[in-house]
Amino acid sequence: MINTIEKKYNLENTFNNYKVTYDNGTIKFVPLDEANTDYQAIQEWSAIEGNNIIDNGA
Amino acid sequence: MAITRIGNIASTIPDDSIQNAKFSNIVNFKNIIINGDMNIAQRGTSFTGQTSANYIVDRFTQTINGAMGTWTNGQSTEVPTGQGFANSLIMDCTTADASPAASDILWVQQRIEGQNLQYLKKGTANAESTTASFWVRSNKTGTYIAELEDRDNSRYVSQSYTISSADTWEKKTVTFPADTSGAFGNDNGDSLRLNFWLGAGTDWSSGTLGTTWHTTAANRAVGQVNLADSTANDWYVTGVQLEAGTSASDFEFLPYDVNLARCQRYFQTFRGGVDIDIANGGMGATTSFVGLVSYLVEMRATPTFTANSGTDYFRVYTTAGSNPVTIAANNLTGTRTMTLNATTPSSLTAGQAGTIRCLSASATVDFSSEL
Repeated sequence: MINTIEKKYNLENTFNNYKVTYDNGTIKFVPLDEANTDYQAIQEWSAIEGNNIIDNGA
Repeated sequence: MAITRIGNIASTIPDDSIQNAKFSNIVNFKNIIINGDMNIAQRGTSFTGQTSANYIVDRFTQTINGAMGTWTNGQSTEVPTGQGFANSLIMDCTTADASPAASDILWVQQRIEGQNLQYLKKGTANAESTTASFWVRSNKTGTYIAELEDRDNSRYVSQSYTISSADTWEKKTVTFPADTSGAFGNDNGDSLRLNFWLGAGTDWSSGTLGTTWHTTAANRAVGQVNLADSTANDWYVTGVQLEAGTSASDFEFLPYDVNLARCQRYFQTFRGGVDIDIANGGMGATTSFVGLVSYLVEMRATPTFTANSGTDYFRVYTTAGSNPVTIAANNLTGTRTMTLNATTPSSLTAGQAGTIRCLSASATVDFSSEL
């Protein structure tokens, strides 16, 4: 289960991927690619009321 | 047609010799299924306590909707004798669920890209039938369901097979009819799934088994036994082949390297390696290293990147020395390369070139673009 999702920025300070932390402690970095199934899961998760993606900026 | 002259050598080769001797062992990638002989297991060979979804061997996943017991699954060396297989996939029930809820599902499945299926001509008047063949073994005899699931058009077709003798390998063949409705997308998406049902609630089993293409959920797994009803239950499968046509041909064995490369389109990993270099780059700052990783084969889509952490799992090496690092993604774009960012707790020299090295057999760096 997803616990938190945070926007991550690359060296050019461009939003590039999501850092996803799961309840079991696993951390994944998920690209902004609609064909990636983890990206699809993020879209479903973020559509649920109360779930918010963290954005600490670049 | 008989060949009467080859170069300067006059000879006659009868037609049946050509067909039987010349062509019977040719590899032509007729098998739609990848890793059907279960030889590739990049993630490991045994997974305990599984209650939801996990990859078992490469390309084959356990999928559970709701709750359908607890499973140990993985790669097994239990195989049918004399068939050329070295491995099988095992599902072993460790906590039973004798009364599944209506919506519960237990599957072993493989997901297939639409662009690999265009020659089936699905959704046209010239659509092809397909035939699945496989070796299966279980202590639990009875009716099981193999199903094709068209994810692009939400269409299904099922065929039953019977495990007749407990704990005995049996070869099964089922043919699925052609479907003149619903074309597969010509892309890298999840278009078709081969589902081996192992348990089904009534939402999926209360109708009439759909042996022609249909859209009715209740017709998908009618008659399926519940493999989750006892901790004594296990189920093995190997030699899974799905091919165009109405008959099954011999299993198509591929060389290990070819099989591995096909799996790495979906998942590749640096695991279990000590002193394995995984990225070259340089110190962008005194405590920050940026390194390039080139994938072993081009991946299906931009992959998800995962690196675990632990004491001295990874270190950065430069001419100024080495430091332990924690790894994260920096630029995760495209299907051929990515850059990672490694953070050191103490300073090295900015601007120096270096490499990230894996130092622990417990360290894992994974790239996944599974369907």
